[in-house]
Amino acid sequence: MTVRTCLIVDDSRIIRKVARRIVEGLGFEVDEAADGAEALIYCNSLLPDVVLLDWNMPVMDGLTFIRRLRELPGGLAPKVLFCTIETQPERIAEALAAGADEYVMKPFDGEILQAKLAEVGAI
Amino acid sequence: MTQDDFDRLQTLLASRAGFRLTRDRIHLAEHRLGPVARREGFDTVEALLGSLWVKPVASLAWSVIEAMLNAETWFRRDRAPFDTFANEILPAIGRVRPEGLVRVWSAGCSTGQEPYSLAMAALDARANTEIVATDLSQRAIDRARTGVFTGFEIQRGLSVTSMLKWFEPAEEQWRASQSLRESVRFARANLLDDVSESNRFDVIFCRHVLTDVEPARRGQIIDGLERWLVDDGVLFLGPDERLDGDTVAFRPVNGRKGLFVKTPSALSRAA
Repeated sequence: MTVRTCLIVDDSRIIRKVARRIVEGLGFEVDEAADGAEALIYCNSLLPDVVLLDWNMPVMDGLTFIRRLRELPGGLAPKVLFCTIETQPERIAEALAAGADEYVMKPFDGEILQAKLAEVGAI
Repeated sequence: MTQDDFDRLQTLLASRAGFRLTRDRIHLAEHRLGPVARREGFDTVEALLGSLWVKPVASLAWSVIEAMLNAETWFRRDRAPFDTFANEILPAIGRVRPEGLVRVWSAGCSTGQEPYSLAMAALDARANTEIVATDLSQRAIDRARTGVFTGFEIQRGLSVTSMLKWFEPAEEQWRASQSLRESVRFARANLLDDVSESNRFDVIFCRHVLTDVEPARRGQIIDGLERWLVDDGVLFLGPDERLDGDTVAFRPVNGRKGLFVKTPSALSRAA
């Protein structure tokens, strides 16, 4: 069985660390990026199975990243889960319209992330 | 809390609620009863229990019992039963009922995630359903009826699309839409007592309830479920819950974990 990969995109090192521990526990191999631009460079060479994506980040935000990702060859394949503090329905709808598969409101825990990954068929 | 307090607590839970409070839960009991003691105006858990043993006031006893019940639940818990309900059971039973009306009972519904999950499925399918949801805990029922869930609760088991479709933000939390709230009728009920309903149910969800039931009381509860289920109805238990040795009234359905139907012997008994 091939190992599934997950890219965690968040400008907070602490959030990345917390999320990493959860998804590694679910059997994913994890890489990290601190903003959308870094994540896009990563995706240009290797598309992960799952992306956990923060919204507000310096250099390139999550919304810009996902639009660019979805235009890449094969860029529709990764399951993208927004993980952000935005909780307004309009903002959530905006993320979904940009191509997000699921949406996680911070704060989250392992059970929520596991349920959301199951929801998109990633586990 | 002394060992004697805990023994009495075990007896209280078993006799009134049929709930099996295992020995390893003494620290949990201490932890859960702290807020009850404060709320009821006692300085310590010992003082609360001491007072209860001397003068067993029913309302105080029930506050203690409710605090010890296992309230854990989430939306579409275990997923598969809700898909089976929506895709197979609802259409199959609806087809053979007057006006397609399917009566559903969520027995042991805790804070409401299960009946609301069933209601979402029914509304999505435009099915004609009557959903009754009961729990032993009045506090759980009161909360369930508000239809308000925290950010953690709303995200556990529910897709973001369903969340946006059926809930709206209410301060820092999420509130079920009016149509969803109106689809479920909540009531407090003890599964050890008889249910005050006028008609039997086509579908009963009683999931992750029997696991915590005192072995000596399981039969009584299962008999009650059998009595309130129509002959061609279905019973959903938790995926790992079994009825072996408890009853001959139900048999498991192959390939559907946790799904049970009545056996022919139960049908002839009813007739």
